Amino acid sequence: MAAGKENKVMSAAQAVGMIRDGDTVAIQGMGTQMSPLALVREIIKARKRNLIAAMIVGGIGLDWLIAAGCVKKVMAIIVNLDEFGMANAFRRAVEAGELMMEEYTEHQMLTRFSAGCYGLPFMTTQSGIGSAIVDLHPDTTKVIDCPFTGQKVIACRALTPDVCILHAHRADEVGNVQFFPKPIWGDVDVFPRASKKVIVTVEEIVSTDEIRRTPERTGLPYFKVDAVVPVKYGAHPCSLFPRYNFDRQVMERYAAESRTPEGTQAFLEKYVRAPRTQEDYLDLVGGSTMEARIQSFWS
Amino acid sequence: MSKLSEDYTIDELMVVTLARQFTDADIMLNGTVSYIPVSAFMLARETHAPKLTWVAGAVGVDADPGYIVGNTLDPTMWKDCVMYLPQISDMWGYVHSNTLETFCIRGAQIDKYGNVNNSVIGKDYHRPKVRLPGSAGMGDMCSLHKKIYIWSTTHNPRTFVDKVDFLAAPGYLDGGDARAKLGLRNGPEVVVTDLCVMDFEPTSKRMRLKSVHRGVSAKQVQDETGFELVTPDHVLETPAPSVEEIELLRKKIDPKNMRKIEFRGSKTKV
Repeated sequence: MAAGKENKVMSAAQAVGMIRDGDTVAIQGMGTQMSPLALVREIIKARKRNLIAAMIVGGIGLDWLIAAGCVKKVMAIIVNLDEFGMANAFRRAVEAGELMMEEYTEHQMLTRFSAGCYGLPFMTTQSGIGSAIVDLHPDTTKVIDCPFTGQKVIACRALTPDVCILHAHRADEVGNVQFFPKPIWGDVDVFPRASKKVIVTVEEIVSTDEIRRTPERTGLPYFKVDAVVPVKYGAHPCSLFPRYNFDRQVMERYAAESRTPEGTQAFLEKYVRAPRTQEDYLDLVGGSTMEARIQSFWS
Repeated sequence: MSKLSEDYTIDELMVVTLARQFTDADIMLNGTVSYIPVSAFMLARETHAPKLTWVAGAVGVDADPGYIVGNTLDPTMWKDCVMYLPQISDMWGYVHSNTLETFCIRGAQIDKYGNVNNSVIGKDYHRPKVRLPGSAGMGDMCSLHKKIYIWSTTHNPRTFVDKVDFLAAPGYLDGGDARAKLGLRNGPEVVVTDLCVMDFEPTSKRMRLKSVHRGVSAKQVQDETGFELVTPDHVLETPAPSVEEIELLRKKIDPKNMRKIEFRGSKTKV
């Protein structure tokens, strides 16, 4: 269903209201960059339950959601904190049998999203022939014969998440979303296009005239976007290149404190649940000191 | 032939050894926590393979960040690239069509046929003893006809196992022509570890000792390997880096020693 040209600006809490318990949520993200972490904190505060997280790379935001008990299943190719090491809540939950990890090869996952974009029941890839990964989920990936050549290919069932959440540089009020630079990862390409609803947080709201002056930067048009939420430093502690870097201090603190379940819960309480607003959160992580910390990419 | 380095460390030897595998014709991608291969691509470009193409973080085509600033998927790596490669249409298209034919991987378990696992330890995938991060791009690359270069900073019997607990990335499967029978071309070429360099015996496809690093014996390598290695009568020493290669690596390519992060769990001190 296409969205209209109405004003879609709302608060994070209002936007998160679009997510229901049990929804499949496509979450943009990498280990240390470009992830809608202010929205993730809001999902935790709203106590969403039984979510299915669909990602390529699961990072700190996914680990928070798991630790907060919001997630029952993860679909991804890898879950870690990049150079900061293991995603400990993820690891503990899978080992305890409390969380299901549905692992895919990268191109299987992207092919599932792609089929979802086109409204096709499935699309194919050769990625994963010979790998045991294809056998992990017979309901969504299956080796079949090409009807023309007889070659083995893998049918990947369409994935159409209920909601996609993203963070971007800027948008106008109706939801034309711009990234700059605009590297076209699956996260900002097939994730939103395959999803039924799309929530985007942005660093700033600009006029539609400004968007019209720079259409080459637009990654998503208004008719695919349902909510626009202005959130300064909305990816913190991850980066939004080239505007701000990831926050090494907070990443390291989480990596260290999440080594125990108690440490993880204490971190969540302090940094996720206690701050009432994004401003409270930014003060807590250092305010202007934090801004200075993440100003530079080149050290 | 330039002067040989005498004070090189194992991380440096691994980078140099890997760099020497690549040529001007290679187009290389890199994934997460891949400081050793990224250092190797940058070093190869500075020495014998100036025309090697590196797509930084699988996004920045022919990027030139100057030095390794942060993690290997960080946008700082894209500096001065000629294009941001769109992931689905372009990057995966070039991978499938084999325009990109070479890839480097590592993993928590590597078996005698070069199959690799970074998903779980334990026989029950759904209730593992240890849940590892996951296979990322390995499962793709190993089944899409790539020439695979494996690196490992932990050459011990826990990493080098007879059979992987979970076959995420197919090497030569059960050996012999098992891989070819599935229609998969290429496969693992070389394994560079903190102790030695290995390749694969052409018929059986079993891992074979090629050279040992300075101060390491063939027996020591066998003792640290969880299966019987094919071992020739005379095992060579891994060729030492040149002074020039070591200087480039230390002063220009990786002055922040990011590559040493990869040795966190290793017995080898670097």
